[in-house]
Amino acid sequence: MPDVKLRVNDPQGRRFVAIDKALFTIGRRTAADLQIISTDVSREHAEIVHDGDQYILRDRGSRYGTFVNGEPVTERALAFGDRIRLGRTDAIELVFQGDEATSGLRETATDINDLRQMAGILNGLRALGSGRVLPEVLTLVMDSALEVTKAERGFVMLANAAGELEFKVARGRGGQTLKGTSFATSEKIPREVFTTGRSRTVSDLMDGSLASVHDGTIAVGIRSVLCVPLRVMSMAQSGSEGVLLPDRVMGVLYLDGRERSTMTSKATVEALEAFATQAAIAIESARLYAEEAEKGRIERDLRVAAEIQRALLAEPAYKGSYCDLAAVSVPCRTVGGDFYDYLELTGGAFAFALGDVAGKGPPAALQAAAVQTNFAALAPVSENPASAMAKINVALLRRAVEARFATMFYGTLEADGKLNYSNAGQEPPILVQSGGRISKLDIGGPVLGLLGYASYELGSLTLEHGDVVVVCSDGVTEARNVAGEEYGGERLVEALGRCHGMKPDAVMDTLMASVRTFVGSAPQADDITTLVIRFTG
Amino acid sequence: MQIEQRIVGDVAVITVTGDITVGKGGDVILKDKINSLLQQGHRKLLLDLGGVSYVDSAGLGQLVSVHATTTRQGGVLRLLNVTKRLKDLLVVTKLLVVFDAYDNEAEALASFVKPAGV
Repeated sequence: MPDVKLRVNDPQGRRFVAIDKALFTIGRRTAADLQIISTDVSREHAEIVHDGDQYILRDRGSRYGTFVNGEPVTERALAFGDRIRLGRTDAIELVFQGDEATSGLRETATDINDLRQMAGILNGLRALGSGRVLPEVLTLVMDSALEVTKAERGFVMLANAAGELEFKVARGRGGQTLKGTSFATSEKIPREVFTTGRSRTVSDLMDGSLASVHDGTIAVGIRSVLCVPLRVMSMAQSGSEGVLLPDRVMGVLYLDGRERSTMTSKATVEALEAFATQAAIAIESARLYAEEAEKGRIERDLRVAAEIQRALLAEPAYKGSYCDLAAVSVPCRTVGGDFYDYLELTGGAFAFALGDVAGKGPPAALQAAAVQTNFAALAPVSENPASAMAKINVALLRRAVEARFATMFYGTLEADGKLNYSNAGQEPPILVQSGGRISKLDIGGPVLGLLGYASYELGSLTLEHGDVVVVCSDGVTEARNVAGEEYGGERLVEALGRCHGMKPDAVMDTLMASVRTFVGSAPQADDITTLVIRFTG
Repeated sequence: MQIEQRIVGDVAVITVTGDITVGKGGDVILKDKINSLLQQGHRKLLLDLGGVSYVDSAGLGQLVSVHATTTRQGGVLRLLNVTKRLKDLLVVTKLLVVFDAYDNEAEALASFVKPAGV
């Protein structure tokens, strides 16, 4: 008996059932050779009788009828490629198939239907906003196109940002992935199709490269090439209506193989073009999805980095036996280049620091972490803030990134009110003393990490009960309002003038309120970090 | 940011206009310019910053960096017409000591005739 089968498409899925007996029954009952569960299918719906050379389909008086290629039938001799419908809708369809050699043109017709079906699947993928990754979509597109055109191999090329075609995926029949280099001689046609946006079918002398996919036989003959553009249509909103923008060619789908009527027939080309449109949309959505996912990944990384940075900062409040402190750090991006730190030294002094790295964002954050680490490591083993600063400068220079530097203020406060400090290029901190006396703590040396010969001086004074020191990053003094004016040192001094004796968090609130009032609705342009310490001994 | 250069005697005078900021790529342009002059054999460089409206921290870092590069290669880089704003920044960061700065081109050019610091 010849190899004859039904390709069944029904709610249970797609499958092949061989017609391997003289009387082949179709119906809802369990005993049927092909059982189809549907209310549209009668218990004994139809049968196929093998009679000599013929296969005859008979309706068994079904309730909703049997159709061949859309026509209702009671009895009909089947030809390969005939589409049999059971019942009222297209939900159940059987395609009568023989082996490939005997299928002929009818088979082409069904293959084109396959293409349309695949286009539907791709359309569905797009509608789902599927998270399928790009290579998967490309492979699916290639394999589907190969399957239905009977081409032997093919590839997809997509345009990169510069508008140049880039090789994406190459596949051979049977799902094998090919190297792009095997198509080295075929680049002319894709480029032409990409440029003109028009499909090409070409009959070409077969090149040696194609031989490799023919089990090593040296193939001599004519190669058929079918190459269609991948276009995306886009809609623009114009008033309440969508307007179709001109297509954009995003790449090409290229297929080749030995001459076959299926590959180069007009119907195949047209169907492949329709398919390519859907494929292009699926590829575009996968691309956009990948971009979004990448963006999401970077955002997640930044969020984690921001958490780490917050964890590196000391608690925003401290209360010791002779001083208390409040600090705040607000990066203008997710992460920033400012930091503050404080610790109790073994000799009993309280050490506090605030630093600001040139620049913003992740590079600055990394360097801020390096500066802070050096501070935490070197401060406890240094005689005083000035010698610590010199050590930190050397340490930073050892691993310097050209032209990158940090500014930092470092002070130690002792129980008797003695304040030692060194200022490495930091906007001078402000000391508020009783009666609103203001002084600036500017003794020290140049910024850190730039100059090998830098030296740092030690500033030394004695604080009274209630004296307050306010250390700010330049994001405070350089905060701008919508008119572009800077907050500036004078406003800072004015805001702090009445802060003597106030609790550090109240000083902080006063300062921040002053800055916020000045800035208004202007966006924050730089990291803002402030540390307030009060001597309570 | 724009950079123009002219040669006066054996001094290369580099005139910078606009912002020296990382956002506008000014820091890199400046670095490339100085490097190219050094490569051409120039050793006396005068950087006219009169037309510079804003220098951010990256730009400031670059100024120090090109100064260091020039010195390392046996050259001298001096500043001309430093704006008040930049001067304030150099004071706060205590980097003013790094540079020899002049407010008058003739004086600046004359300074190259005698050895630095004399």
